[in-house]
Amino acid sequence: MPATRTNQEWYHDLTAGGESQEAAIADLRNILLRAALYFFSRNLSDFWGLSRDEILQQAEDCAQDALIAVMNHLSDFRGDSKFSTWAYKFAINIALMAARRERWKGVSIDELSDPEEDAFSEWVMRDKPDSISPEQSAMQEELRSVIRNVIDHDLTDKQRQVLRLMVFNEVPMDEVVRHMGTNRNSVYKLLHDARLKIKSGLQSRGFEVGETLALFGAAG
Amino acid sequence: MKRNRFESWLQNIYHTQEEEISCTECFDLVSSFVDLELSGENPAAKMPQVVQHLQQCAACREEYETLHDLRRFEDEGGALSLKDLQDLIP
Repeated sequence: MPATRTNQEWYHDLTAGGESQEAAIADLRNILLRAALYFFSRNLSDFWGLSRDEILQQAEDCAQDALIAVMNHLSDFRGDSKFSTWAYKFAINIALMAARRERWKGVSIDELSDPEEDAFSEWVMRDKPDSISPEQSAMQEELRSVIRNVIDHDLTDKQRQVLRLMVFNEVPMDEVVRHMGTNRNSVYKLLHDARLKIKSGLQSRGFEVGETLALFGAAG
Repeated sequence: MKRNRFESWLQNIYHTQEEEISCTECFDLVSSFVDLELSGENPAAKMPQVVQHLQQCAACREEYETLHDLRRFEDEGGALSLKDLQDLIP
């Protein structure tokens, strides 16, 4: 169960030194381990092939890493949430990265990055509905053609690479971050700028939001 | 009808804003967002930029959903002990 301290007590005890600090750090590590275990229990398929002891050890490692992260960021805590909520997010963040790394450890991201592969077409065809009218089909084809044109001619190589990995091949963000040796913010920005260019390309060709989404049966 | 991935992506494209917050900014705000939500307030009205980011970013959304569910579970008196949680690992 989470230790019951007020925000002020957490901050005081974690910075106090001596026995108070030791006790607070032990309690903090416990709540971080709870968060990591909670995340792992929801994502057990990521750990396929690992023994229970190996999974539990990974949770312990995440809790330890999260403890270091929380202590390093303690001065950033503004008190606008419960301390436990604020601390949990570090453990969940680290647990998510560990789980995705485990799930993708045997996959060659280099191969998925191959610009020669027509990942866009393959991805679109995977979910193609069986029964649509010829008019709908023609409109959808035109829309896909506009998108492909923007991807091929207007995006930078890096924007194309991130799109290919994260959208068309569904590689988790943190694996893309590791593969590219960058950080979440940079990858998010690449994806954001790609989305903006595609949005602009669609609108300049008359594909407005309502009619486009209706074309695929999705509500705006 | 379940929306397919291409449709969801199209929605993301059309909902793209010129300015969006980064993953780091979302991370900074998400704990107060969750606590506001669980206290019955409307964080979406106060932090629309977080909602927008969570719609666009699967990694941040998954972290938010886990944080939200864990905190809600505890608020409802369902906090599990370490042993209970360890026993969830088969």
